[in-house]
Amino acid sequence: MENLSFLIDGLLLGFVYGVAAMGLTLIWGVMNVINLAHGPIIALGSFGVYLLFSRLGMNPYLALIFTGAAGLLLGIVIYWIAINRVIEAPHLSSLLATFSVNMVIIGLGTAAFSTTPRNIDYSLGSLTFNTITIPISRIIAAVASIIFTAVLYLFLYRTTLGKYVRAVANNRAAAELMGIPSRRILALSFGLGSTLAALAGGLIATIFPFTILSGGVYELKSFVIGVLGGLGNPLGALIGGLALGLLEGIIPAFLPVTWVPVLEFALFVLILLFRPTGLFGVKK
Amino acid sequence: MAILEVNELDSGYGEVQVLWQTTLKLEEGQLTSLVGGNGVGKTTLLHTVMGLTRAWRGSIRFEGREIIHLAPHIKADMGLVLVPEGRQLFTDMSVAENLEMGASPRRAKPYYERNLKRVYEMFPRLYERREQRAGTLSGGEQQMLAVGRGIMAEPKILMIDELSLGLAPVLMLQLFETLRQLKTLGITLLLVEQNVQMALAISDYTYVISEGRIKLQGPSWEVAKNPHVQTAYLGLS
Ligand SMILES: Nc1ncnc2c1ncn2[C@@H]1O[C@H](COP(=O)(O)OP(=O)(O)OP(=O)(O)O)[C@@H](O)[C@H]1O
Ligand SMILES: [Mg+2]
Repeated sequence: MENLSFLIDGLLLGFVYGVAAMGLTLIWGVMNVINLAHGPIIALGSFGVYLLFSRLGMNPYLALIFTGAAGLLLGIVIYWIAINRVIEAPHLSSLLATFSVNMVIIGLGTAAFSTTPRNIDYSLGSLTFNTITIPISRIIAAVASIIFTAVLYLFLYRTTLGKYVRAVANNRAAAELMGIPSRRILALSFGLGSTLAALAGGLIATIFPFTILSGGVYELKSFVIGVLGGLGNPLGALIGGLALGLLEGIIPAFLPVTWVPVLEFALFVLILLFRPTGLFGVKK
Repeated sequence: MAILEVNELDSGYGEVQVLWQTTLKLEEGQLTSLVGGNGVGKTTLLHTVMGLTRAWRGSIRFEGREIIHLAPHIKADMGLVLVPEGRQLFTDMSVAENLEMGASPRRAKPYYERNLKRVYEMFPRLYERREQRAGTLSGGEQQMLAVGRGIMAEPKILMIDELSLGLAPVLMLQLFETLRQLKTLGITLLLVEQNVQMALAISDYTYVISEGRIKLQGPSWEVAKNPHVQTAYLGLS
């Protein structure tokens, strides 16, 4: 029965992983940029919620909304400063650009917040069914993640601006020819990817302690999920997130928890070797 | 009055110059054709006019205004629209969404319903397949969609690169008929065509391009009569 608790815990957390991975995969899918600043933006999301909560006494879930909005702005700014100039250059250039952003955020973040762990001291208790106990914060995180995914889908498939994003992802030159300002759409897409990262970070902060460095772990998970679900495929990212969450719920029943990242990374390599388009991925 | 004036335009890729002092004018409301062999620079000319390929030197005036340095999307906003070679559809999006994306220029928005009706009337096939993913359309249907998407942009000038390439004769005739309709709507047209006979027959004015230079120009009926042109530049006998 304890194992079942782990499993449910893992699954619920998997939704949050899915949101983080969606951000990574959205940016890749639209502009073929691997965002190495993804982890630090996740961590900034954690800090956003933490600071609004601890300094202003704001409800963490309300703080999450503001943090998401800040993530959008931050992403757009990062695009115009660091990405736009290398968007037509070979992949290595954009990789270096996002890596530099990563370094800048980590550097400034460490200076500002140090690396002592923080946590949000706000408990909603847990639900208990028989012997299974589920923290309410995890349930809310999962529900919020589903809502974010749904909103992203509605945006991409039901709004004109969202369709512009898909058009630019599909054929940027054609989008330009049809009057779509593609660079602005790329900036927006980078902003959206950052929003998802920040939201995931914010949700994580309601569950676990964190530092400015802890985004790295989730960035790695996002990569694993990205290849699981097929990079560039948001729904695949959510499913991949669930798969990874489940896996994390199952592994501790058989192996020490420290093995989790090892197995995840092994999975990552195996998929890249045998199914490079992703397990559930459609070819882009 | 010429609505588009391309003057002594040079352009190319990297170190390689493709266009050499290309000069060309489109008269408002006319159908102009640009013909020439493979690899002589027709697509390069259209791409340079749109700004997809950077111009090296020269000038491009649209309604009297210099536009050589503007981004493609701004030109599309002004009413200068290209139906590109190879269709370049949004293959992952539906037929209807492709048409919707065509209507992105601000000036096209007020005419959205009218243009959509017009496109579906011209190409009933597209209406039947409006929910289908564009990438799964047949070649002919894709060409209809590419032209339809261009019409949705409410163009003042519509430039079409390789209208009939790879199409069955019936469909080819249908698309040429569409051009005639577009002309009666007052749209200025520039047609790049492999099918020279057809281009000469349908257009008002023709430019012959060879090795990146305009070699000859004139009313299409005159060019059509010129036996030298046909053998020297177009590989016809
Ligand atoms: N992106 C590119 N990079 C380098 N060279 C190019 C590029 N595109 C075209 N070229 C070269 O420029 C020259 C003109 O090509 P262009 O596509 O303009 O010819 P075209 O007249 O449209 O030919 P076709 O009738 O076959 O479409 C060719 O020699 C071609 O190889
Ligand atoms: Mg060509």
